[in-house]
This record gives sequence, structure tokens and C-alpha cells, in this order.
Amino acid sequence: MIIQTMKEGAGLVVTVSGRMDAVTAPEYEQKFEEMLSNGETDFVIDFEKLEYISSAGLRALLSTSKKIRNKNGKIHLANVCGNVREVFDISGFTGIFQVHGSVAEALAVIAG
Amino acid sequence: MKANRSIVFRLILVISLWSGLIFIVVLGYNYHHSREVLEKELEKNAANLALSLANKVDAELVSVSKVTEGVAKALETADYDEKSLRLLLRETLEANPGIYGSCAAFEPHEFRKESVAYALYFFRRNGTTDAIRLDRSSGSLPYFYWDWYQIPFELGRKEWSEPYFDEGWGNQLMMTCSVPVFKGGKSAGQVRGIVTSDLSIESLTRLVSSTRILRTGYAALISRQGVILAHPLKQSIMNETFFSIAEERRDPGLRKLGQKMIRGESGFVFYKSLVGVKSWMYYTPIRSTGWTLAVIFPEAELMENITNLTMVMTVIGFLGIAFLCIAVFFISKSITSPLIALAGTSRKIAEGNFELDLPPIRTMDEVGVLTASFQSMVTSLKQYIRNLTETTAAKERIQSELKLAKDIQASLLPRIFPPFPERPEFDIYAMMRPAKEVGGDFYDFFFTDRNSLCFLVADVADKGVPAALYMMVAKTLLKSEGQRVGDPGKILCNVNNILAEDNENCMFATVFVAILDTVTGEVRYANAGHNPPLLVRSGSAAYVDAKHGLVLGPLKDSCFETGSLMLMPGDTIFLYTDGVTEAMNRDGEFFGDASVLETVGKASKTGAASIISSVGEELGRFTDGAEQADDITMLAVIYRGMP
Repeated sequence: MIIQTMKEGAGLVVTVSGRMDAVTAPEYEQKFEEMLSNGETDFVIDFEKLEYISSAGLRALLSTSKKIRNKNGKIHLANVCGNVREVFDISGFTGIFQVHGSVAEALAVIAG
Repeated sequence: MKANRSIVFRLILVISLWSGLIFIVVLGYNYHHSREVLEKELEKNAANLALSLANKVDAELVSVSKVTEGVAKALETADYDEKSLRLLLRETLEANPGIYGSCAAFEPHEFRKESVAYALYFFRRNGTTDAIRLDRSSGSLPYFYWDWYQIPFELGRKEWSEPYFDEGWGNQLMMTCSVPVFKGGKSAGQVRGIVTSDLSIESLTRLVSSTRILRTGYAALISRQGVILAHPLKQSIMNETFFSIAEERRDPGLRKLGQKMIRGESGFVFYKSLVGVKSWMYYTPIRSTGWTLAVIFPEAELMENITNLTMVMTVIGFLGIAFLCIAVFFISKSITSPLIALAGTSRKIAEGNFELDLPPIRTMDEVGVLTASFQSMVTSLKQYIRNLTETTAAKERIQSELKLAKDIQASLLPRIFPPFPERPEFDIYAMMRPAKEVGGDFYDFFFTDRNSLCFLVADVADKGVPAALYMMVAKTLLKSEGQRVGDPGKILCNVNNILAEDNENCMFATVFVAILDTVTGEVRYANAGHNPPLLVRSGSAAYVDAKHGLVLGPLKDSCFETGSLMLMPGDTIFLYTDGVTEAMNRDGEFFGDASVLETVGKASKTGAASIISSVGEELGRFTDGAEQADDITMLAVIYRGMP
């Protein structure tokens, strides 16, 4: 798993590529802890290059989004596609996250 | 190949060889230099000795020749008759005890006209003097032809004869000095006669022979013909010449030396003496007779002191080197023995015996420092191994506890099949194959009332102990709520609210729960984020169109709708977790939804157990020994209908 970040207007765009599973999920959580402690609150997570997400990955996603919301931050997902989308649909995550078709769309909503 | 010679051996070899070499060079130089100094000193001494001897000999000879010349002069200046000549000769003889005989020989008609020859010879006999007329002695050559007369006569100057044995005079070595008498003075050049003096050279040769140089060194006298006159080898005196000996020895160097001597040169040479000893010789001429006087110094005796000194130095030197080697041996032993001890101990330590004590540090030299570093290494290693042992023990304990937890977890699931042998209207079978760690999959089935069979499959997010604990809670809640409420949607709703109460870590579980009415075949179900189950009817499998609710746990007040479908007798409903579809082979490929559909469809005609075992076999073939990453859980229910 590779996590890249880029400041885009109102939010921080976090691009996650590779696999998000029991091995890499702690790394994901740690990265967000860092960004939150650096004062970042609004995030757009770009899942375009994410190949696979396991239940551990979903749990990490939930856990970080809860922390972000506790700080009155915003978390928006973009480009959830392929089998990641399938997992989101089955697990009902599509219903509890704000999922957008593109990063720009998500940023626009944050700026909203 | 490494040379396995010890340090001790190499040190001793190098040190002894080098010090030996240096010692030999120094000794050699010392010997050579001493010899040179000695040689120079010797040349001076030898020359002095030879010259003083030569002068002594010369003085004797010169005195005799002076006397003879005096007689000749007298005969030239005064008018002598026979009588006065007799008187002159007798007086001369009596006045000079060194002279044995004296002769005056004249050309014909000296005193009388009729006398053809006149030669008067005075000599000593029995303490008195006697005289004979040589011209009257019969049977011999006329004196005119004798060398002592003819040579000075012809040359017109004084002449010494070669030494000779005079048998008439007790075999004494004699010489004759002949002086010509000129008529009307020397300037006129006409020789009237010859005056001679006979001289015994015994005293001279004795003087020379008695000269002792060192122990066996000597002086020698050689005539101008090379004849040996004085020499310790008595038999060679007058019998051999320098040249005959050179010939005998085939030594051209000796002959050259002889020629130099005869030419009247002087010099200092190293040669093999006539007695066969390597010697130095200084030779110098005796002016009056052209003889050569030589002094001979035997080398061995000259060099005795130097040789002795060198021998003593050699002995001392080699003893010194021997002591040096012994010292080197002990010093290098004292260096290497702690090293050897250290090497031995470290080998044992390397074999794992850490309790062994290293050799004590005696001095803080390099070996001491090495031992100290080694000691600290051993201590660190000991500490490290102790830590590792403790960690390993702790890890093993945790492992065994996790194994126990896994067993407990597995034992919580219903494992007796068939579970309800008295109920022929359905056939149920389930299995859970855990992955390596304790995990979060589980299944359950129970009657909520006489004709309602509740069955469910769940998958707790993540793995490990937190997942296992969460699974326990979820399973307990699902069973208690299932038995209490009886509606799948409601069951999930209630359990979700309880789980979401204190869920800081956002743990969650996906659950599919269904209740089969065994009388009608109606299945009511609800889904909390789980894979949709398969419905298998007449050999083909299809997904149950279950409305997906959110996973169980993260969000309070989630709603779960209850769906419903009717089973015909023979229909199968197959529940599973993503461990089945996402089982991976060695190439990282998933087993996949399609394979599950196909396998389940094919196996549907047989019993619930065989559906599950055939999926299991198919999975085994697919993964082909690749490590199982996730728990695999399957549950199959075949509805038979009421009998």
C-alpha cells in the first residue's frame, strides 16, 4: 500500500494505492493520526488505484473517519470502483460514506 | 594453503637467522680488518727485521772485502818481492781472524822472468798459519783458469765467489773475495794479479739461522744464484736453489719471486714457504754480494690471536643468539599462550557454553584488550540470549494461549452433525476452517420455536484476539436476540445497537441471518453487509437478492430490512464468508464468485455435508497448499419439505 497526499484547495487529497488489508491497515491509521495531529481536518480519499480492501481495511477506514468527525472534520471518498465498490456495496459502506465520482467533485463539496 | 607454523616458531626463525647473519657479517668484517691492520704492521716489522739482519751480514762481508782491497792496494803502490809478499799475507791473516786464507796470484813473470806462474796461498792450520804455492800443486788446473782468478781478472773489478764447501777445511761453507791488482794503478787498467781472501760464512749463516720469528718463523739467506745458504731445512742448504724448488712444486709464482730476489729487489709477499706453511715473507738484498735475506712469518702463528679472538667471539655470539632465542621463545609463549587459551575458550563459547570463564587478564596489553572485548561480547551475547529466551518463552506462551483460544472458539460452534436427527424436513451442515490466527468467522443455528430454524453466518472484521473477543460477544448476542425476537431484521437491529454502544475501535461484523419455517419452506432473512447467499434450485445456483444493510457495529440505529423467499423441497440455501471467494492460490488469484456458483450448483443434488465437502475439495485443489489467509466458513441448508 502506498499513501500519497496533496493539498488541493480546501482539503487534503489522499491517494491510496495497492492493497488495504490486515497488514497495511495499521499503517493507514497511523498516517491519518499524523495528518490529524498536523491540523488537517478535511480529507478527500482517492481510491482509484486501490486494488483490494479487506474487512480490516474497512475497519481502519471506519475508525479514521470516526476520529475525523470527532474533530469536526470532513471525509469524502472519490473514485470507489471495481471490486472495492462491490465490497462497499455489500458491506453497506456506500450508505455511510459520502462517495463521489471524482476528486474534483469531492473537493467542490468540501469547499461547498 | 595457510602455513600452520606457530608465531613462536616464526619469531625464533626470523630473529635467529637475522641476528646470526648480522653477527657473521660483523665477525667477518672484524677478522678481515684486523688481518689488514696486522698485515701492515707486519710489513713494517718484517722490513725492519730483514734490513737489520741484512746490514749485520753486509757489515761482515764488507770488512773482509776492505781487507782484501787493502792488500791489493799495497801490492799496487809498493814494490814487493817474494819475501815481503809472504810477510804481508801472513800479517793480514794474523790480523783478521775472520779470514781463513789469503792468496796472491800473479800473471806470468811477476817476480822472476823464468817463472811462468806465481800464486802464494796463506791459510790457517792447527792454530798457526801455513803457506803453499798453488802454481806448484800438481794434478790440478792451472790457477789462471779458476773462477776466483779468471772472473775478476776479466772484469777488472772485485768479485765475490759463490759460496762453496771447502772439504779441506772441515766442510765449512766458504766464500772467496777476489780483488784485482793493477799494474801502475787502477786507471792504467792492466791487471797484474789477483788477491783473495777466503771467508767462512758459517758465522753469517748461523746468525741468520739462529733468528727465531714467533715460534716457527725463520730467516733465510739465498745466494745470487738462488742457492739456499741459510734455512731451517739443513738438507736443502747448498743442495737446492729457489728455482729447483719452484720447478719441483711447479710454482711459476715462486720462480718469479726468485727472479725478483736475484735482481736485488725487496718486497713483501704472502706465499707457501719452503717448509710448506702459508707465510708472509719480507726479502731484501745484501748489497755487497747480491744475496737475498728473507724473514718468514707463518700465517697461522701471526693470526693465532686474531683467530683465537674470533673463535671466542663466535662462541659468545652463538651462545648469545641461543639465549636470545630462549628469551624470544618465552616472550612469544607469554604472548601466544593467553591467545591460545582465549581461542580454546572462545571455541567452547561458540559451541554454546556461555558460563565458561575467559582466561584472567594479567596485563592490559593487546591480548588483554582482546580478552576484555571478548569478555564484553560474551556478556552482551549472554544478555541477548537471555532476552531472546525470555521473549521466545513469552511468545510460546502466547502462542499456546492463542491455540487454546482457537480451540475454545471452535468449540463454541455447533459441531455435531446431524444436529437434529429427528427433523427430516431439512438437512443442515456447516463448517469453519480457521486461518492461522484466531479469527472472527462463525456460524450458528438454533430453533427459535418449534418450526423456526434460525441459521446465520458472520465474519468479524480483522483478525487476532480483538476479532475473536468481538466474535464471542456478537455470537452470544445474536443467539440470545434470535431466540427472543424471532425476526431477522429486528435481531440485527437490536444486536447492532448493543454493539455500537461502546465501539471506539470501530470493530464490526458482517452477518447474514435467516429463519426457515420448516412447515411452509418460507425463509425470512436480513443481511448486515455480508456476501449474499446462494439459492440452488434444480442444479443451478443464484444469488439471493438480499437487500444489503450496513455491517453490524459501527453505527447505531442502522435499519435492517427483512426479506423473504420460499423454498421448494430440494432447494438448497448456501451461506459462506469471503474466505471462500477470496481463497488465494500461489499466483495470488482468488477462487472467485463464479467458481463458488459452479461448484455449489453441481453438488446440490447430494446432501448438505457433501456440498460443503466438495466446495472444500475444490478449494484445496485451487489453493494447492498455499497458506490460508482468512477463515473459511460455509453453511448449507437443504429443505426437504414436510414428510
